[in-house]
Amino acid sequence: MIDPVILQQGSDWRAQAEVFDEIFFVFLALGTLIGTIVVTYTLWNVYKYRDDGDRSDEDFDAPVVGELPTGQGGPKAKKLFLSFGLSAIVVISLVVYAYGILLYVEDGPDTSDEGDIEILVEGYQFGWEYEYPNGHTTTGEMIVPADHRIDIRVTSRDVWHNFGSSELRIKSDAIPGEYSENWFSVSSEEVEAQGGEATYRVECFELCGAGHSAMTGQITVIPQDEWEEWYAGTDSDSDSANESANGTSASLGGAAVEEVGA
Amino acid sequence: MSELPPTTSVKRWLVTTNHKDIGILYTITALFFLLFGGVLALLLRVQLWDPTSQILSGLAYNEAVTAHGLIMVFWFLSPFGFGFANYFVPLQIGADDLAFPRLNALSYWMYLLSGVLLGISFFQGGTLNAGWTMYAPLNVPMYTPSIGSTGAVLALAMFVIGITASTVNFLTSIHHSRAEGMGIMDMPMFTWSMLATVWMMLFAFAALLAVGLILASDRVLGSVYFSATEGGALLWGHLFWFFGHPEVYIVFFPALGVMLELFQSFSGRRLVGRKWVIIAICLISVQSFLVWMHHMFLTTINLEIKTLMMATSIGISLPFDLVVFSLIYTLIKGRIQFTTPFLFAFGALLLFILGGITGVFLGAIVLDYEFRGTYWVVAHFHYVMFGGATALFGGAYYWFPKMTGKMYDEFLGKVHFILFFIGFNAVYASMFLGWETPRRVYEYNPAFQIYHQIGTIGAFLLGFSFFIMFYNFAKSFVSGPDAGPNPWDYTRTAEWAVPSPPPLENWPNRPSYASGKLEFVKDYVPDGGPAMKTDENGDAATDGGDSHSTHIREYPYWDKHPSHASIWPLTLSLALGVLFLGLSGFRDSVTVTLGESVATSAITVSNPVYPALMVIGLVGLIWAGVRWGLEDFYAPPTEFAERWPFDGVEKVKLGMWFFLASDVIVFGAFISAAVFIRYNAGWRTWEPLTESLPGLINTFVLLTSSFTVILALVAAHRESRKGLLASLGATILLGFTFLGIKMWEWHHEIFEVGVTIAANSHGDPIQASIYYVTTGLHGVHVVGGLLIALFLFYRAYQGAYMDDERPVEYFGLYWHFVDIVWVFLFPLFYLF
Repeated sequence: MIDPVILQQGSDWRAQAEVFDEIFFVFLALGTLIGTIVVTYTLWNVYKYRDDGDRSDEDFDAPVVGELPTGQGGPKAKKLFLSFGLSAIVVISLVVYAYGILLYVEDGPDTSDEGDIEILVEGYQFGWEYEYPNGHTTTGEMIVPADHRIDIRVTSRDVWHNFGSSELRIKSDAIPGEYSENWFSVSSEEVEAQGGEATYRVECFELCGAGHSAMTGQITVIPQDEWEEWYAGTDSDSDSANESANGTSASLGGAAVEEVGA
Repeated sequence: MSELPPTTSVKRWLVTTNHKDIGILYTITALFFLLFGGVLALLLRVQLWDPTSQILSGLAYNEAVTAHGLIMVFWFLSPFGFGFANYFVPLQIGADDLAFPRLNALSYWMYLLSGVLLGISFFQGGTLNAGWTMYAPLNVPMYTPSIGSTGAVLALAMFVIGITASTVNFLTSIHHSRAEGMGIMDMPMFTWSMLATVWMMLFAFAALLAVGLILASDRVLGSVYFSATEGGALLWGHLFWFFGHPEVYIVFFPALGVMLELFQSFSGRRLVGRKWVIIAICLISVQSFLVWMHHMFLTTINLEIKTLMMATSIGISLPFDLVVFSLIYTLIKGRIQFTTPFLFAFGALLLFILGGITGVFLGAIVLDYEFRGTYWVVAHFHYVMFGGATALFGGAYYWFPKMTGKMYDEFLGKVHFILFFIGFNAVYASMFLGWETPRRVYEYNPAFQIYHQIGTIGAFLLGFSFFIMFYNFAKSFVSGPDAGPNPWDYTRTAEWAVPSPPPLENWPNRPSYASGKLEFVKDYVPDGGPAMKTDENGDAATDGGDSHSTHIREYPYWDKHPSHASIWPLTLSLALGVLFLGLSGFRDSVTVTLGESVATSAITVSNPVYPALMVIGLVGLIWAGVRWGLEDFYAPPTEFAERWPFDGVEKVKLGMWFFLASDVIVFGAFISAAVFIRYNAGWRTWEPLTESLPGLINTFVLLTSSFTVILALVAAHRESRKGLLASLGATILLGFTFLGIKMWEWHHEIFEVGVTIAANSHGDPIQASIYYVTTGLHGVHVVGGLLIALFLFYRAYQGAYMDDERPVEYFGLYWHFVDIVWVFLFPLFYLF
């Protein structure tokens, strides 16, 4: 049984979604900039050096059929290496930058051990089952408290699935016999902004059979105290109220959760 | 040997072994598969129009997704490039044909018939629906039970067998038959790209063949590799992507080669930093084998390896940067002609730049975590792979005049390009905008509907644009103006120095670059006069004389005509196709009930059609193989040629070495699979299944047979027919002894111990599967070797090999290889 403590807010830890947004923005800005420069430069030169038939033949060393191929050297080759060097600098800085971010995402924020809630996610054709630390299981909908780091261990009982929520920017392969790990957290401010209950769509991101398209689920984040109340009322048996929801956009309201918890 | 009928005869196209004919067959067949895969894509796009409506069932949608991917990647992209490679690589290197013309025809027919098998699989209870990546364990019969799923897997295996033959052929040709004076750095860029492509294919497709054979074994024989929870799913991922990532460059490089040619041909400028572009291409080819786990960042691979793979993946963009900059700078100060081929090649560059930049995103692990399984990936690889193929369409317009002798319609070509380019970006750029949609899903988040609708409109525009191309080509072929030998202003490569289309044996006389430019050399003049040189500067006006003659050229310095026709490649492929069709339904129509021994076991046949097809196919295969071996087919050796780095290696021997190199990878993959699964299961928890004594005896038997093969070679060298027969006979007997002991061992395991391919009375079933499948693959190699040995024995009995012992030597190479493999298998399965 865990004894959740409210995490310090305003410290330096960030949700995966924020981290993703930052690195995505950096890549997108840089990619757009470089792409625009290269494409514009290319288009401009192609236009400039189009064959309009009124350029003189002097200095134009046209190739002939049957010559052994030679390349062009000289100033162009120098330019080639300069451009290559520049692109190498950009690419290597990106690798280093991305590595720094990776380390953060892999480790997750530091939390006290007892603050973590670990949930086992098991994919099956075609839905998700969640097992809480006390052995309680739900299907379709995962209910977790705000302000906590939620660790998920993801596996599958049949074929290869991928558990993911685009809004939370989390994703994990669900492979039979393997356990892949990930984490997420939602702040209480976010839960309040969504009216006391934040819901996130879960989808399967790996083709898993005929029902792949409909293999959706939901992550519901509720305030700490509500969650504790709900959790205290659960036991190691399957939650029959949630059993029927079976993956397809279970939309349990906060009231229903309390009812279950009562 | 039979004579080659004229091009108007249907028979010619069934028997031809000429590289240009086969190039045309490849091109047309690939375009057919473009239509096939394209129609499937349109089905998907129609379904994606509205996420709430359902036009296709879930299974039908998945089948269309799978077949679209498989067809476009395997049956369209690569073969389309290989069509041009078949036609133009021999011309660009100054060869008469590929090294092994019959093998080339065999590759084509296997390609076509494997595609036919894939088509048939739709009618065998539905084709495979596990995606083109076929992730395990969805790819095993428990989750994809239809016969058609097995049919599709076997179709792919057959395709890969044909591809392997083609790879060996191109490697041997390029390394063995380059005209005098054409060093390896002097090869035209298209040929260079193809060389890099086939080197990658040699290793990558061997891995795919291995993983395909294991999957076929799971599906047909009932082994349990990919359903094993001891890493079975990850094993698929590793083996598939070890092939899968190089495959991206394998389909892109032919297109890159076309771009490198066309940028020069339509700007009048030579490639900037040519040497460095070649080095970059070689670097990419090597590096492509070191990045595969970036397809598996979200699996349980540890962080250190993932980081390494991130660095190599992002790093592989560097050599590409160099190639892209070189292409751009080549155009500068040129006289760029906006012909249709150039527009397509230039469009391909723009699309590839976009695809490349978005690919760097995917290399960063944190971004990949979110992009994994989304339309970002779909958009990215379409920009790279289909964007590359854009250049291949440029190649089609560029070489159409050479292949047909007619000029296409420039206006229609430009209309095609404009519609193509708009349609392309509408489809795939919209995917970037709606990237949060999961792949292979049709009930997507309605917020992204607008992007998917733009995509659907673009897809139809894209599809329509190809009808303009087909119309253009058909009309121009019938009534286009004559193109002449060289319709372009700034071409350099040798295919433009001969008429359009080139004569059957390509050259008026032996091509040579010894003087620094292409000349046609007469090596021998019947009246004993001095050797003559025919100057050739490539202008249409000077392209006269006997280069216009289309009759089969005389070889004054050789007393035999080269052969150009054989029916056996087609026959052999047909037999293999029938065998594989039979195999696809084997499990559903044959039930084996094990009793106490063989005598009390029963085989129940519920549907005789599939077993009958298997028997017909197998008999046909052996028959066609023997006829192939007996046929008097003459492919002349190239007397004067550049062969670096394989100087002094005879043609067939070189081919044999290439084949064995790919077989090393096949066995390497099987052994890696065994080690990987065992490691995941806990290495020490497994004990050897079998007694070590039979294995030890078999090791000695095989090693002795290696010795007798050497004796056979020595006897042939000494022209001792008796000695040859005796030592070949001993080899054959030892081979059968090996198989006999093997059969006893298997019988013992199955009936007395209770270990079958899918069940293990002592432990994990997967251990039994690995034992039977790996040693079984080796056994199949032994059987194949014995069949060849029997053939050699028969021919030796007739008195062959006395003046030319090379076939015995090449068989010996193969046989030694099979023995060496056993030396690795013995400790793995009998000792530890």
